[in-house]
Amino acid sequence: MAPRENSHEPSGTPVPVEIGFATLAQLRVGVKAFVDKDGEKRKAEILMIQTRRGEPKFYVHYEEFNKRLDEWVNAERIDLTREVEWPAPEKPDKKKSSSAKNDKASKADQRNLKRSRSKLDRELSIASETSSNNVPGKAARPTKASGKENQELLVTTEITDGTTPKPEDEEMDLVDVQDAAAAAKAVPDQAYSREDEIEKLRTSGSMTQNQTEIARVRNIEKIQMGRHEIEPWYFSPYPIDFVDVDMVYICEFCLGYYGDVTQFERHRSKCTLLHPPGNEIYRDDYVSFFEIDGRRQRTWCRNLCLLSKLFLDHKTLYYDVDPFLFYCMCTRDEHGCHLVGYFSKEKESAEGYNVACILTLPQYQRKGFGKLLIDFSYLLSKREGKLGSPEKPLSDLGLLGYRAYWQEIIVDLLMDGRAEANIEDLGAQSAMTTNDVLHTLQNLNMLRYSKNGHVVVLTNAVMETRDRQKAKEKIKGKRSIDPERLQWKPPVFSAASRTWNW
Amino acid sequence: MTQRTTGQRFRQRKLSTKQNLQIIHEKDLEPLGDDDATRHIPKVETGVEKGEEIEHHLQAVISAAQAASQGGGKIAQLYIPTPEAVASKLQYEDLYPRRFTQPSTYIRFSSTVEDTVGCPYCMTSEDAAWLKAYNQKRGKAPHCSEDEFEYVINFFEQTTQEKQPYAEVDTAPVLAYEELESAFDETIPESARRFAKDIYVHWKAERERNLNKPLMPTLKFERNLDTDDADPYVCFRRREVRMQRKTRGRDAQVTEKLKKLRKELEEARFIMAQVKRREVMIREQLALDKTIFQQRREITETKRRLSIKGDDEELLINQKPAPKPKPRVDTSALQRGIPGMGPKPQVTRPDGRLVDSDLVYLDDQLAKKSEAIDGFIEENLMKHQKWNVGWVDATWRPITPPMEQPAAKSDFRRVFTESQLPTPPASVSSEEAGDAMMIERAKQPEPRRSTRIRFGSPPADQPYKDQSRYRRRTGRGGRVMIDRRGVKRPRLDDEPIDERVADRWKYAGDSSEDEQIYPVDWTDNLHIRYRIMIERQGEKQHAQHQAAAAAAAAQNRRAIESHQRSASGHLLPPTNRGQ
Ligand SMILES: [Zn+2]
Repeated sequence: MAPRENSHEPSGTPVPVEIGFATLAQLRVGVKAFVDKDGEKRKAEILMIQTRRGEPKFYVHYEEFNKRLDEWVNAERIDLTREVEWPAPEKPDKKKSSSAKNDKASKADQRNLKRSRSKLDRELSIASETSSNNVPGKAARPTKASGKENQELLVTTEITDGTTPKPEDEEMDLVDVQDAAAAAKAVPDQAYSREDEIEKLRTSGSMTQNQTEIARVRNIEKIQMGRHEIEPWYFSPYPIDFVDVDMVYICEFCLGYYGDVTQFERHRSKCTLLHPPGNEIYRDDYVSFFEIDGRRQRTWCRNLCLLSKLFLDHKTLYYDVDPFLFYCMCTRDEHGCHLVGYFSKEKESAEGYNVACILTLPQYQRKGFGKLLIDFSYLLSKREGKLGSPEKPLSDLGLLGYRAYWQEIIVDLLMDGRAEANIEDLGAQSAMTTNDVLHTLQNLNMLRYSKNGHVVVLTNAVMETRDRQKAKEKIKGKRSIDPERLQWKPPVFSAASRTWNW
Repeated sequence: MTQRTTGQRFRQRKLSTKQNLQIIHEKDLEPLGDDDATRHIPKVETGVEKGEEIEHHLQAVISAAQAASQGGGKIAQLYIPTPEAVASKLQYEDLYPRRFTQPSTYIRFSSTVEDTVGCPYCMTSEDAAWLKAYNQKRGKAPHCSEDEFEYVINFFEQTTQEKQPYAEVDTAPVLAYEELESAFDETIPESARRFAKDIYVHWKAERERNLNKPLMPTLKFERNLDTDDADPYVCFRRREVRMQRKTRGRDAQVTEKLKKLRKELEEARFIMAQVKRREVMIREQLALDKTIFQQRREITETKRRLSIKGDDEELLINQKPAPKPKPRVDTSALQRGIPGMGPKPQVTRPDGRLVDSDLVYLDDQLAKKSEAIDGFIEENLMKHQKWNVGWVDATWRPITPPMEQPAAKSDFRRVFTESQLPTPPASVSSEEAGDAMMIERAKQPEPRRSTRIRFGSPPADQPYKDQSRYRRRTGRGGRVMIDRRGVKRPRLDDEPIDERVADRWKYAGDSSEDEQIYPVDWTDNLHIRYRIMIERQGEKQHAQHQAAAAAAAAQNRRAIESHQRSASGHLLPPTNRGQ
């Protein structure tokens, strides 16, 4: 139980830990030991221990590795010749967030807290910016970070001038390059309490990392879907009965789930669905997009969410699917329309997000589908006449996918023969938020200061990437979304249909 | 530290997102003396959670990209490793037959999963084994098909769900067959019912093996248990808990708005209803006025025909003659001068309030029958003149026949007229004849008098009120008096006015003790009608007496003046109108 919070903190944060040698019998949940991973010893935390066929099995999470690489290991892979870290004794104040009983008791208090939660959020995020970016003008918030870091912060305060930090990047008109980099929302590095988390879930689609112990362990061994067998990456709240089955069979069309192959075959003999149950809004010779209303296709969208939760750590299924639209990308053949990926989108996003969750199913990953999904999401934003940005937090893969897309789009725009560019125009032409454009340029080191002022530099690196991309397209053909083929008007919803239904 | 100093320098370089920036290829970029800025990439927010941002594989990709963007060589083709997806051993072709034909138009589809998956219950391998054995046992008797089997089980499952919604929590016993049978409905096909009892045995065994939980694995929905919140398996919660709260607030707002709207609409409706009522009443009143007028005229005619003179006073009173505010002013003054004559003006005064409305009516009538009335007036005029030859009018409130002297209209001013009652004949310097006429006919109906003859035309460039007006008149016993009007006492705001000085101006102003200020509702019906009258009168006068433009002007002025006067309070609120 105890070490959960620790694992969310940036590693390398020196938390005093008890170290010692352990025997196999002494290993328990929370212990961090070195585990053999692909021939390399990595520190890993034991999240669960089970005995299967008389042998202990350990579910481990490798430090600094994504959770999707968590796995069950045999005792042999644990290196007991090296010292292990014992879990820190549970701090009394932490019990609150980990024990259900206390949860219950403090519920009333939490509820009161919830009201001012969003404000608190903002403060927290500012506070964390303050500490992480060393922006002066704000009292440094005491963090769990070490004294060393705090010292650095003090030094910083002496050095930097008196500029006050911008609380948010609302004021994008005139940005300070350095500040803008710091201004984007930072997720507080304090662990969320469960109540905070739930409150946050009420209004958004994704989830920051805070789950119960159970949810840290993958519950589905393997899924069978279409022509593939896929190892799930994360926990998904499929029926609890499925923890015992070796394979969960998922119908490719209705996304129904079956723990028994006979059942699945029976289902297949009855299921008549051949494509996502909604309207096709885009079709080219490669893919089709279907628009599915979470409220009208509740079962299908729930099935989709359960499936995608297997591969999206931050997705939440805490609340129902009603306020979302699901844009599902399919490839077609004589068997039907095969779901390749999808993104969900709030019917009305208060934050201006144009994507809530986005996923290319693992069996279709690294084939360029992610880019099509992202491109399509921006095409919808263009059609809506809005600028959009994906909901945060992004997953690691999400970040890389978006960065690649943003880079390609911006570089393409910059290469269209224009001699000058301004950030807002680039945003308007790509339906990207000004912030995303700015960050992309900054991140690619394309925004530089020459003697005549700021310039946009087409760096050798981006040119090389572009050339390589073009060369690849020449061989494999360019897959892109053709705006002409989108038959879609931004749907309009009544307040009631956005939220719930009866 | 590098980052920080760079940051400081960057801070001075404000960048507008609207500003056009030159696009340069890196090779064309002049190297800066200080390469720091080129080397430093401001730390851009990734949007990835902090704890995850530091993950090994992500960092590897990010740093590789950064190294490349700083000119540090080629971009390494790095990927974040993911568990692999492998080809399935299942026979795809069997499971997913080729039956999709793409329509030429985009697919439009609204059926739900429930609509398209058939019977929700799907046989397990155990079910299949049981069914096989069962059918074998039946020998030549009709076999139970898989579909029928599933329908029956599905019916059992759903009926149980309805009857024992908390079966898994309560650990209630499995429902008895009789109970299930009694619930048979169209969801269980006729052909399947004959197997139901046998299948029940199998179902019950399965159900009991499963702790009376549903046989098809189900998702965990919220059950309002305390453990719900912490249970990661509980999913797809309704948002209404929060939404309701939100909605209540929103609904309350909306309700308030609707209430307000409704109230306002009701008010508007009420006002319109009242306006309508008022207009109807006005119409009735006008009709009554007309009748009264006509009857009075008949009476007058009759009296005239029968030469009855004595009762005119009574007639006048009943007729609510029009004592103009001015008459009242003078009346009160006169009361002092001639005590014996006091009561009469007082009698007329309360009635006088309604004169204005009578006037409207009268004027309307005049407009319609101006010819006849003019003739009538002319006739009377002549009569009066005849009758009055050699007589001196010693009565109060002489009723002056209209139009006796056209010339009199042009110069006579109401103010004077009203205050000059006792000895009219000598009062107006220039128009003695006119005055004389007024005095003579003390018993002429007042409305007519006030309608026509009261005003001269004052200089147009000055408000009437401000005009200085003087009049010489001869009082009883041959006293000659000068009356003044519109002569203002020099006003010194702060200085207390000497009592004697004040007394000197006592009768100089337009005010008297009679002219108190009453609050007046300008939207009042009476006033509205008054204004209408003024308008109409102006028009009529213009049309009818174009030649006598001066006279018309005088008339309008009179109307306006009476208007002002009513403003000064001689008209009481409409509630008293009924008098
Ligand atoms: Zn299906």
